[in-house]
Amino acid sequence: MELLDRYLQAVKKYLPARRQDDIIAELRANMESQIEDKESEFGRPLTQGEMEDLLRKMGSPVIVASRYQPQQYLIGPALFPLYLYVLRVVVLWALIVYSIVIVVVLPFASPDHSDIAASLLRTPGILINVAAWVTLVFVAFEFFAARYPEKCPPLAGLADNWSPSSLPPLEKVDLSGRKPRSFTQAVAEVVIGFLMIAWLLLIPRHPFLLMGPGVVVLRVAPYQLAPIWWTFYWWIVGLNALQLAWKTIDLARSRWQQPAPIRQIIFKAVGVIPVALLLSVRDHIYVVLKNPSADQLRYGGHNLDVINNSVHLGFSVICAIVVVQLAWEIGHIVWDAYRRGEAAR
Amino acid sequence: MTVAENQFESLRLELRRGSLTLAVLAQLRQEHYGYTLRKDLAERGLEIDESTLYPLLRRLETQGLLLSEWREEDKRNKRFYHLSPDGEQILAKLLDEWQAINASINHIFEHPESQNSK
Repeated sequence: MELLDRYLQAVKKYLPARRQDDIIAELRANMESQIEDKESEFGRPLTQGEMEDLLRKMGSPVIVASRYQPQQYLIGPALFPLYLYVLRVVVLWALIVYSIVIVVVLPFASPDHSDIAASLLRTPGILINVAAWVTLVFVAFEFFAARYPEKCPPLAGLADNWSPSSLPPLEKVDLSGRKPRSFTQAVAEVVIGFLMIAWLLLIPRHPFLLMGPGVVVLRVAPYQLAPIWWTFYWWIVGLNALQLAWKTIDLARSRWQQPAPIRQIIFKAVGVIPVALLLSVRDHIYVVLKNPSADQLRYGGHNLDVINNSVHLGFSVICAIVVVQLAWEIGHIVWDAYRRGEAAR
Repeated sequence: MTVAENQFESLRLELRRGSLTLAVLAQLRQEHYGYTLRKDLAERGLEIDESTLYPLLRRLETQGLLLSEWREEDKRNKRFYHLSPDGEQILAKLLDEWQAINASINHIFEHPESQNSK
């Protein structure tokens, strides 16, 4: 019986303190009856091996004790879908608010952009923190609801208030057969857009991020970029910020599956503006001498013209490609609309 | 255990869970303590692990469906369970429900063609 005592002692350790003596007494009575039955069947006391088999069949002490515990969850199945929804929305909004702080507020608060990189690195920690708080609130609600069900609003009641007419409209089927964007894809686009803007904002202070080791050449070369590049730069930052804001709003309104093609076209068309701005620069001056009085003879004149004309040619080609691509996509949309019209007839 | 076996085992346990409660309530119209209840159910073809049955008795008692008392029998203190008045009412409703489900399933198997498909 020593083995039985050891077994019951092990089970007792995992039982709730208030009921453990009562449960162990009952378990002991049942198991002793079972052992007696076996012994009278065999006509002899059970061997050590037979006793071990009997206890093994009963189950490990942890498992046996766990079955006496009330069924409890950190977040139960009734609450879990709501938890997942709230977690998704809150983490997304935390990302949006934090992105706005980094992209809009921080550059003014810290003109040398030194805090931006540190703020970027803090993002995962902040999001985990937010998720942990949401989880904690739901765990507390589950805990409270399990113990005081009469004081908690019934979740089923919330579900009773829904109306079929409030269901969202059917999603448009893409005739081109493209799969709708997944939530992960849409979130990834927002996160990448946010990183892209942070990267753009860091470039003026750390040109290494754009040019890599080539930044050394820029430093020792007698040339520097003309002021028009600042206009171009802020256009690019503005366009990226606008696109990011739009994607974020889509996400927040749960409309990420099918981005409107018209909007994509508008963004591409507006994207031509900064390139066109560069092309319209008077005398094609993109690069100027750092020190005109000293370097005009050696690096100015024909050399400078060759560089500026090459940049102009490069941008002309880029502009032509973007315009052709734009025309192609507009044609595609018109064709899709025509096909949809035909299919509807 | 293969995936199919695992799946079967999980569905089997799910199917058994409610039926076991019904069988235990039905058997406890007569007084029993844990071990004899388990033996009786096994003799009637329903094997239940000790680690499932004994906590189940506690749960049903907490829900007010069973009553229990400690009593000495064969020089040993044992906890005897029997159906409470509430338990009797619930058992009657559960039996009706179980019989209706059973009848429906039998009917589905005996007449696989639905009248709607004709």
